Formats: sequence, C-alpha cells, structure tokens
Amino acid sequence: MKDGLRQSMAWVHTWSGLLVCWLLLLVFMGGTAAYYKHEITFWMKPELHKAADAPSRVTPTESATLAVRELQQRAPKANAWFLDLPHERNPLIYASWTNPPKKGMTREERRAAFRTQNFTLDPMTGEHTAAPRDTRGGEFLYRLHFDLYYMSAIWGRWIVGIAAMAMLVAIISGVITHKRIFKDFFTFRPKKGQRSWLDAHNATAVLALPFHLMITYTGLVTLMFMYMPAPTKALYGTEQNAMFADVFPNAERVKPAKQSAPLADIAPMLLQAERAWGVAPTRIVVSNPNDANARVALHRPSGQQLSNIEPSMTFDGASGALLSETAPMSTTLDARAAIYGLHVAHFADTLLRALFFVCGLAGTAMVATGALLWGVKERQKYAKVLAKGGRVGFGVRLVDALNIGAIAGLPIAFAAYFWANRLLPVEMASRTNAEANVFFIAWGVAALLAQIRPTRAMWRFQLTAGAVLLAGIPVLNAFTTDSHLGVTLFGGPALRAVAGFDIVVLLLGLLLGWAAWWLGRKAKKQAAAKTPAQAAQTTPLEAA
Amino acid sequence: MSTLILGSAALAFSGFAATSITMDRHYADIHGRGKEAPAAARLRLRTLGWLGLLLSFMACIGASGWHIGPVLWCGILSLAAWTVTLLLQYHPRRVMQAAWIGIPAALLTATLLLRP
Repeated sequence: MKDGLRQSMAWVHTWSGLLVCWLLLLVFMGGTAAYYKHEITFWMKPELHKAADAPSRVTPTESATLAVRELQQRAPKANAWFLDLPHERNPLIYASWTNPPKKGMTREERRAAFRTQNFTLDPMTGEHTAAPRDTRGGEFLYRLHFDLYYMSAIWGRWIVGIAAMAMLVAIISGVITHKRIFKDFFTFRPKKGQRSWLDAHNATAVLALPFHLMITYTGLVTLMFMYMPAPTKALYGTEQNAMFADVFPNAERVKPAKQSAPLADIAPMLLQAERAWGVAPTRIVVSNPNDANARVALHRPSGQQLSNIEPSMTFDGASGALLSETAPMSTTLDARAAIYGLHVAHFADTLLRALFFVCGLAGTAMVATGALLWGVKERQKYAKVLAKGGRVGFGVRLVDALNIGAIAGLPIAFAAYFWANRLLPVEMASRTNAEANVFFIAWGVAALLAQIRPTRAMWRFQLTAGAVLLAGIPVLNAFTTDSHLGVTLFGGPALRAVAGFDIVVLLLGLLLGWAAWWLGRKAKKQAAAKTPAQAAQTTPLEAA
Repeated sequence: MSTLILGSAALAFSGFAATSITMDRHYADIHGRGKEAPAAARLRLRTLGWLGLLLSFMACIGASGWHIGPVLWCGILSLAAWTVTLLLQYHPRRVMQAAWIGIPAALLTATLLLRP
C-alpha cells in the first residue's frame, strides 16, 4: 500500500459510492417514502376519505364479525382471508382473500385476480365504502426500493443488494478516510465551492451515521437468506422451505383437511386475545376457512419492541380453541427480528417515524452531495481547458447528466406518480400499471433530457419542474377531491394523514424551488463577473 | 413522556453546543480570530457536554424504554447536531447563549427520572 491507508480508502470510497449512487438515490427516496406507505396509500384512495372521517362507533370485535359475515358470503371456499381492523394508522376495515389457484393460471393472472378480491368496510356503519380507485399506493414505492420494476423481484433484489453492499463499503471507507471527523464535526462553511459540498456531505453523513449504518446493514439482513445462501445450501440442500419451516415454525402452514366444518364464532377469540394482551388485535388471518383444519391467527402490533414479528395467537377455526401463542424465540432469531424490525420501523410512533423520515432525507442528501462532489472535483482538472472555451471530458459530462437525471429527475417522477393517481380515469383498465408507467416515463424523459443537455439551465429547469409538480399536489388535490387541505386540516384524526401528505409534498416542493432559485442567483452573479458565453458553460456546482 | 423527550432534545443540543464552543474553529468564530479556549474551560465544558449527552440518553430510556429509547436517542442526537452545526455557522454567539438551556433541562429531566 504505497499511498497509505487513508488514501487507499479515499479511492475505495469514491468508486464504491459513485458507481451505485444513482440507484441508491432511488432506493433512499423510495425507502424514505415507504415509512409512510399506509398514509400514502390512503391519500391515493380519496374515495375512502369520507368514510374514514367519522369516529368509529364499532368495536374491533364487531368490525371483525361484520367482515367475516361478508367474507362468508363472498369467498366461503377461499384459501385464506386477511382482515385489517381499524387502528391508529388505519381508519377502515380492509378485507381480502386468496382463492385456490385454478389450473393453468399464470402468476400475473393470479395477482390480477387477487387485486379484485377485496372490499373495504366503513367501521362506523359496517357498510361498504365507495369502491376505491385501483392503485398500489405506497406499496409501489415500498416495493420499488428493493424489487425495482420491469424485472423479476429476484433480479431487482440482487441489483439493490449489490448497491447496498457497495454502500456499506462506502460508509466504512468514508469514515476511515475522513481525517478530521471530530475536528470538523459541527462544521459547515457555505459559499466556498468544493469545500461547502464536502462539508454538506460530511454533515449529512457523519451526524446521522448511526442511521446510515443501521439502515444499510439491516437492509442487507432483511434479505440475508438470498444474499448468503451457502449455510442453507450446506444444511438443507435444495430444501429451502424446510429451513424456513424449522427456523420460523409460526409461519408453518396447515393443509386443508378437505372436510367442511363451520367456522367458529370469531368474537370470543378476539376477546380472549384482547384480555391476554390488553390491546385489541389489528390483523386477522383465517386459513382454510370452513374446513376442519381452519386456523385463525390474531396479530397485534409489537408495541414497545424493535422486533418485526407481530405477537400472535392461533386458534382452531372449527372448535375455537386456542392452539398456540407466538413461542418465545431463540436469541439469534430475536436478534434477527430486531434487526429486521429496525429497518421497517413498524414500532415507531409519530415522532420517531418523523425522525426516521428526516434521517432518510439526510441519507438522500448524503448520496446526492457525494455524487455532486465527484463532478466538482473532477471538473477542476479541466479548469484550463474550460477557460479556453473547451469542453469537459466524457466522464464528467456523463456524471453531470446522471446527477441531474437522478437528483432533480427523481422528484419529478415521484410527483408525476401522484399526479397520475389523481388525473388518470378512475375506471381505466390496468390502472395500477399505468400509474407506475407514468413514474418511469417521467423519470425517463428527465434522464434523457439531462443526457442531451447536462447544463446549469437543465438543473434549473428540472428542479423548477419538480418544485411546481410537488408543490402543486395540494392544489391538484383541491381540484380533484373533496379532501383538500381546507377540509383535512379541520377534519377528524383519520384525515390528518391526508393533510400531512399535502403539507410534506408542499414543503419538499418549496425546498426544490429554493434550490432552483439559488442556482438562478448564482447564474446571475457569475454572468455579472464573467462573459455570458463562459457562464453558460459552467455548471452550477463549480460556482457553488 | 413527551416532557422527557423534550428534555432529552434540549440536553442533546446543549451537550453538543457546550462541546462545540471550545473547539478551535468555533471558539475563534465566537471570540475573534486567533483566540483559543483556556484548557480549564475546555475541560469543564467538554465534561458538561458529555454529561448532557448521557443524561439525554437516560431521558430517552425513561421515555421509551430500553428497546426504543436508544433508537429515539440516535434520531434526537442527529437533529441536535444539525441544529448546532447550522447555528454555529450563522449565529455562533447564539450557540454559547443557547447552551444554557441544558441547566434547566437537566434539572427537569433528573426530577422526572428520579420521581418514584
């Protein structure tokens, strides 16, 4: 190691970061949004807002009984029923079911069928809500951040996993290479060009380091059976399902007895669980309903614990007898559940969820400033060439263009997704796919424009477009729904999620608008100092 | 509960502020170029700063328990550090004044934590 550890690590940090940073931006933005995936989904189904905005006068037990009665009529022979009961982050009763797959059905067809097998009940009246529009809502953004899109989930997970491993390398090498990590701990010096970008990169990275390390590492652990298959292969060969059954006995599925038996009343089971836990169950899964081997699993939120595994009680669906409770887990499994739980943060209350969201934004800013920093540094090598009116090299141009397409282009894609949700016709066929397509068309156009003209004007144009689209969402919402800010701010607690969504996108839009304005001011200052022709050729970052 | 979290946030801010105002760059920003903090003041403020952070941790544990508390603390530390960083840049003297919030916050937090 000729250069010494720190220099070598600087090299590792640069390249492990740069090669994956644009994908990481997508992952960070999608994952950050996913902390509010229920709220986003709710916002994206405005038909449900009215029903939710009434205080529930029905107890969880009554809700469940209502939904089960409905399921008995509509899907008595289903494989399984899934019920989500009203709780803090969910104002309505959601029910869905899976049917035994018919022969010759493709995976896509089964998924499409599943999307139609659900209904939503108003917990106040017990009646059906207005049919919500077909959308995947926040689930799309959540899946996007590890499955990607337009490819099989396995491919997506491998690609995201490799990016996450590179990210972990970048974090560790970044800490080693940061010579003044303590001396510069609180340092931010604006208006000093490269120095300012480095300070911003350090401040967003170092000051939220516990979060960045945690989220990257735990993200990898959530998919560890995929990324590290060797132990499973060695012990179980190709029988991966046998391993899952051994490791997660609670997830074991019972085969139907093919012998019909009426489902026992669900209300006593709910009461029993509520008495034991002190809180009502929020999720019910009935497998093999109306079969002698029916099982009713009641789940509750894990509460003041990190674990992602919701404590549950399983009842015999035919007799109504309690079969088992979540068995105490081994320390190893408990540790895994806590690590997994930290990533998905289901335990987080309002404040903690907001902190996770802010840290996620800081992670996005860390990746963005890192990507920009490479361009700023590399551009200096071309200072003389640029002064003579020459051009920067291919690498700098490519990175500049990718930076515009990801940093300014992705917010446009997110905003376009929400606009599509409100503007696409409600009765449109395969509407969920259309919404996702709008996301990628918007992103594709932004990325392509950036490749054609990676200039400061393009930065300003895309930042302004993102600002207008995001900040315009509350306005769009006011024109297309009855649950705009004027209503939601003064409505019941269930509408807080809708108001919160509008306010957060408005703030993010203002932030982008501020960035565009700031660039414009820089441009003017520079134009005053230099000849206009030269000013047009430099990018903003150099002058920042 | 939420009083403890507020106390924790104030203590984290104050702890970071006390630590930061004796650091060379920030001390010079506050007291004028070339000035350096006396060794005794440095030691005193640094100790107080660490005590503040420790008490801030205890407040989080008191508010949210040993499972969630440390996670909450990490989030609060990040927020507090960003606030101190920005304040040091734009209003460095304010950091010195605002650091005093740690004293009442410490008293309040200690009372709440020691309350039977």
